[in-house]
Amino acid sequence: MSSLGGQYDTWWRSLNELADAPGFRTFLKAEFPAEAEASGMSRRRMLQLMGASLTLAAAGGCRWKKQEILPFAERPEGRMPGKFEKFATAIPLGNVVHGLEVTCVDGRPIKIDGNPQHPESRGASTVFAQAALLELYDPDRSQCVVRRDGDKFEEQTWEKFEAECDKLFRRLHESGGKDFCALAEADSSPTLDALRSKLLKVFRKASGDWYVFEPLSDDNEETISTSAKYQWLRTHWRLDRANVIVCLDADPLGSHPAAVRYARDFTAGRDPESGRMNRLYVVESGVSLTGASADHRLPLRASKIPDFTVSLEQSLKSPGKIDHPFLRAMVADLLKPENHGRSIVCAGPAQPPDVHGAVQRINALLGNVGEEKTVTYTSCPHWNSHIGNLRFLTELMKAGKVGCLLILGGNPVYNAPADLMFGKALEQVETSIHLSLYRNETSRCCTWHLPRAHFLESWGDGRAYDGTYSVIQPMIAPLRNGRSAIEVLSRILESADKSGGEIPKPEGLVQQTFHELFGRDSQAAWQCTIRDGLLAGSHWPIQTLQSLAEVPHPKPLSKGERTLEVIFRGSRTIDDGRFANNGWLQELPDPVTKLTWGNAALIGPSTAKKLKLENGDLAILKLDGRELQTPVYIQPGLAEETIELTLGYGRRAAGNVGGEIPEVEPVGVDVYPLRTTKSMYLAAGATLVPTGKKAQLAGTQDHYAIDVLGQKTVAHRAGELIRQATLEHYQKEPQFAQDEEHPPLKSLWNALKYDGHRWGMAIDLSKCIGCEACVTACQAENNIPLVGKEQVIRGREMHWLRVDRYFQGDPENPRLAFQPLPCQQCELAPCEQVCPVAATTHSHEGLNDMVYNRCVGTRYCANNCPYKVRRFNFFNYHKEFENPADEIGKMKYNPQVTVRSRGVMEKCTYCVQRIQEAKITAKSVGKPIRDGQIKTACQQVCPTGAITFGDLADPQSAVIRLHHSARAYAILAELNTQPRTVYLARIRNPNPELESTDRKHEHPSA
Amino acid sequence: MSILPLDDNMTQEPTRRARLVVGPADAASITETVCAITERPRPPAAWYAAFAMSAAATGMLFAAIGYLIATGVGVLGNNSPVFWAWPIVNFVFWIGIGHAGTLISAILFLFRQRWRTGINRFAEAMTVFAVACAGIFPAVHVGRVWVVYWLAPYPNQMGVWPNFRSPLLWDVVAISTYGTVSVLFWYLGMIPDLATLRDRAISWWRRIVYGLFALGWRGSAAQWHRFEWAYLLLAALATPLVLSVHSVVSFDFAVSQLPGWHSTIFPPYFVAGAIFSGCAMVVTLAVPARSLFGLKSLITMRHLDNMNRLILGTSLLVAYAYLIELFMAWYGGNQYEAFAQLNRALGPYAWAYWLMVACNVLAPQLFWFPKCRTTPWLMWVIAVLVNVGMWLERFVIIVASLGRDFLPSSWGMFRPTAVDVMMLAGSFGLFCTLFLLFCRYLPMVAMAEVKGVVPPHLGSNGVQ
Repeated sequence: MSSLGGQYDTWWRSLNELADAPGFRTFLKAEFPAEAEASGMSRRRMLQLMGASLTLAAAGGCRWKKQEILPFAERPEGRMPGKFEKFATAIPLGNVVHGLEVTCVDGRPIKIDGNPQHPESRGASTVFAQAALLELYDPDRSQCVVRRDGDKFEEQTWEKFEAECDKLFRRLHESGGKDFCALAEADSSPTLDALRSKLLKVFRKASGDWYVFEPLSDDNEETISTSAKYQWLRTHWRLDRANVIVCLDADPLGSHPAAVRYARDFTAGRDPESGRMNRLYVVESGVSLTGASADHRLPLRASKIPDFTVSLEQSLKSPGKIDHPFLRAMVADLLKPENHGRSIVCAGPAQPPDVHGAVQRINALLGNVGEEKTVTYTSCPHWNSHIGNLRFLTELMKAGKVGCLLILGGNPVYNAPADLMFGKALEQVETSIHLSLYRNETSRCCTWHLPRAHFLESWGDGRAYDGTYSVIQPMIAPLRNGRSAIEVLSRILESADKSGGEIPKPEGLVQQTFHELFGRDSQAAWQCTIRDGLLAGSHWPIQTLQSLAEVPHPKPLSKGERTLEVIFRGSRTIDDGRFANNGWLQELPDPVTKLTWGNAALIGPSTAKKLKLENGDLAILKLDGRELQTPVYIQPGLAEETIELTLGYGRRAAGNVGGEIPEVEPVGVDVYPLRTTKSMYLAAGATLVPTGKKAQLAGTQDHYAIDVLGQKTVAHRAGELIRQATLEHYQKEPQFAQDEEHPPLKSLWNALKYDGHRWGMAIDLSKCIGCEACVTACQAENNIPLVGKEQVIRGREMHWLRVDRYFQGDPENPRLAFQPLPCQQCELAPCEQVCPVAATTHSHEGLNDMVYNRCVGTRYCANNCPYKVRRFNFFNYHKEFENPADEIGKMKYNPQVTVRSRGVMEKCTYCVQRIQEAKITAKSVGKPIRDGQIKTACQQVCPTGAITFGDLADPQSAVIRLHHSARAYAILAELNTQPRTVYLARIRNPNPELESTDRKHEHPSA
Repeated sequence: MSILPLDDNMTQEPTRRARLVVGPADAASITETVCAITERPRPPAAWYAAFAMSAAATGMLFAAIGYLIATGVGVLGNNSPVFWAWPIVNFVFWIGIGHAGTLISAILFLFRQRWRTGINRFAEAMTVFAVACAGIFPAVHVGRVWVVYWLAPYPNQMGVWPNFRSPLLWDVVAISTYGTVSVLFWYLGMIPDLATLRDRAISWWRRIVYGLFALGWRGSAAQWHRFEWAYLLLAALATPLVLSVHSVVSFDFAVSQLPGWHSTIFPPYFVAGAIFSGCAMVVTLAVPARSLFGLKSLITMRHLDNMNRLILGTSLLVAYAYLIELFMAWYGGNQYEAFAQLNRALGPYAWAYWLMVACNVLAPQLFWFPKCRTTPWLMWVIAVLVNVGMWLERFVIIVASLGRDFLPSSWGMFRPTAVDVMMLAGSFGLFCTLFLLFCRYLPMVAMAEVKGVVPPHLGSNGVQ
């Protein structure tokens, strides 16, 4: 090698080499024999190399397509390429926002979580917030302005719209806004509110007004109609302070806008260790998540709930002899002196305002109302969102009195009450403008469709349920050429009121509103609010309630006739249909029915028997002369003679996921056509007739009608998998969950030794309410693919973490229990022992690692996994993103997690990427990892803190404390798998008076 | 004592051995009978029809495999929790079929059961083809076929050995060993007969091809000496394999902890079942082949009778295993095991279980009657039923156990797809194609060995 270079410019690798020490020579020979022998380049070698180079040069044509990578000319301060950054923002959902913390990498959002500082969420979030990420990158989102001319749609630019807008609104302004109306979805944005006022001022003579419509709203709850006037109030419950909670068709843990906070508060009031446990009574017609967590649940037809509320009120006033055992026990509990001021009675949004009035009287009677008590009232932004207003608007439209209708968001053509015939009315409007994320049903009926910017792409603001002010800041420039409602409104204002000035920037508008609202002029306060994502202490002030004596008593909703009743409920996964094109949500099983990709008419077992219907039967549902065909699903626990219908499905213009006629079949059945202004939540007199045909329902549990033998076994095993006891039993026998007999367990292998971390997890079943936010969080964090309805029917869903749901007891009123099931990370993992290629192995920190690159796909590991938590890529489920047109779709991937191709197994790894990142950081800053510093995605999102992750080697860690808890048990421990995930037994707090009557009914079922 | 008629070897006479070859037969006639099949210019029309059909099915098999590899395992019906389904059922089924061949050629050889000579050649051929069919399934049903060689323990740049704890690895070793030994054994036994074909060849290509494979066999005493030693050694080597291969295959199930799989009875139960199904397949093939190719004098009714007795015996073993499984499930007191068995008998796959019992336990009981053991069409029907039953047995073990394991939340049902059906049908096509080619081009009966069992005192005209 010395002969290669000249004498002076020799490259050397170490001083030894330079010195050509004998030791280095031997070393070199051992390492690089060819090099050690090299004594210069021969002519032969030269020709060989030349030949090879020529060949390689020719092969240059086979290279992958070149891609330009553009570096920042000037790197923004503090930005490190590839490094995760977190920003605060908020997601608007109806009339509230939820504070968020968005993780971005290289300028693209990849994960959404709750804002840890936000008083509502404390870092937890909902499935909707989690899945908003997928919506951001949805290729089906509207990309350009579309103008409709008769039946023709032409793509237009924003400039064209602006020109049109100038003409139109100039003219309107001149005529004083005659014929102009606006219809918006509910929101809580002060900036929009300000713009709205400005617009209405400009169009002083507007024949209409600003209308708001939401298919699912809190109107009934927030309006307390006294005989004289409306008072708009928002009710807040302090579930953590309550000893007794009574829900009358209310779902504070599930569908409530403040569900995240309520779920946390509810479980905070249930601590078996300290013995302080609240008691939850639920009276409801459907099965809600709150009902699933209830200590006592009474299935009652929705029409009977007003009667029940009246009886409750009367019984509380004069607790004499009460016939109804449930009511008697509940009243006795509520009237206990220690529960005075420590109880909550709440009613749901589907109940008429009278019921809410009665409930407020009851709370006042029980001494619950007050700042230090359990129920408070605050003001809230009040919109004319009542259905009456929409009827008024539709009548104006039908009468041709609306010349220009601006629709901000929403989808009234799809979800307005059917008897209004909104779509027909819209045809009478000369110019209709719809701003929307998708070109949905309404967009297609309007003359102009404007693409809306996603909330992650735009400036905005809003207030949480408690009123806490949040700024919505963009995480990324609009991907699809959209504009926010604020931008569109301010542009319209500019057109109308041609001042010639510069159109204010949305950021400026939001900042201006902020300053006006809170009187803080300083830039610092604004910057702090953006950084924190919220303005601390900006919650609504507490209001006192006016006299309620005038509020009429609830009227019975039915005259006692035994007809089939229909109740309408928003989907727990796709809401009112707005998330229909979100695959994560479509594939997320409904927590109670476990159905994905569609809805069904839910009926109780006794009703099913009476109507001779079975799971999956197609039936014709008739109501008030309207009819539709729907599959039937039997839901244990549903009130008798009740059909529960889920709104939000059957979209005909949602997109490639949610259905787009004629290319893509709608997902599920659209039940809005049965919903009228008179029967927004409840309708009587329905008939359900079997057609004799079957439909395929895509459930993730109970994939098929289960036989008697199976049912018996499920009932038996569920008790072992989900161990539960009453508080009383637990206090007497704390170790009850651990007394399980099995033969001595011996391993074939030597025990593994650990000298560092030993990761572990504990899941508290007392805290799990089954909301499944963890499932979506896991999907977002770990790049888990979607598989689609057919694959779910085949049983190939990919969720690494699933939530198992079991029923116990009487099928008419069963107890429900949920069990989140991630990989148990067994110490003696059955999967590891059978993998022929060692693709799944035990890490030095006790994890069951999965080496995707090594996996051959024999699937033996999954066969041998007793928990069935392994998922197999039967196809290349990410294939669509190989298409260059879907580059944007790829941006959602977490760059720290491999995207798996087909033919490999995958599974939960306790978010090993987060563990590694924490370890790297800990190493670079030279500090050990704190307990609680690493949070798995499922743990982070969990509103109740049911999941705890940490280091079992750290004797101080929270997880080891839970592992040593008396309630801790491992499932299928008799197999000697030694799981690292333990479950904490579920403790219920039943009323001793009712538990005995419950027992009589108890017989096992599935 | 009357003299036994030439064409009867069925009369039971304790004092005299039955003939192993019936009818007038001597060395020359045996050679003529067997070689004529391969030497006649055209096979019977039935051969063409059968070949056309099975070749088409083979084409379908490879088309299905191509589609499977190009698209993904999802084209099969497998799901979660039934991660293994028809391909593994087919694999175990075909491996089982393969067992009769080695049993007949190796074990019966060591036990000096000379009647084996009439049927050992094609039983061995059947083994080789069955193993070929079997080997395809586990290879193509993995997720990433293109890296399936990682299962082989070879030094590699990744510095990774396969996991020797995995029964699947033992399986790979067992099957490949078995396949190799079966081919060797079959081929070695065929060398003298190939030489005969070479010597009789009239066309140049037959001379070259058979000559090549006859390995220069001249029939010298030294060659015979070595041949017989080699044959004996290979028989001794193959004998434990008969027992071990299916034991190892059963470890795939027994060593895992799935209820319904995790059972110590599996190795003997699987071996018995394999011999059972193998013998049934021999009968299924022998009955039509002997009449189609005029081999009734060499593959005699007594051969079939013996095979039928074997089927009856192994059927009883299998029935015993079924009973013991049920008994142990009850006696063992393990709730999961008990449920797995109950679920087989009463669960959603009960139809398959009871059909299996009918085919494997009830149908062979007819072989208690001599009439049934000697009526070709009837034994053929029973043998086919046994084959169906044994396929169902593997289906019940694999699919019904996987469908409902520990956690009821994960229970599921299996529905086959068109590709599943095509692959199963196609594997029969491949098997039949190979077998038909064998019938046409190779000596179907071990001439050299049969000649050894023709009584020497038989005159050339067959008259004593």
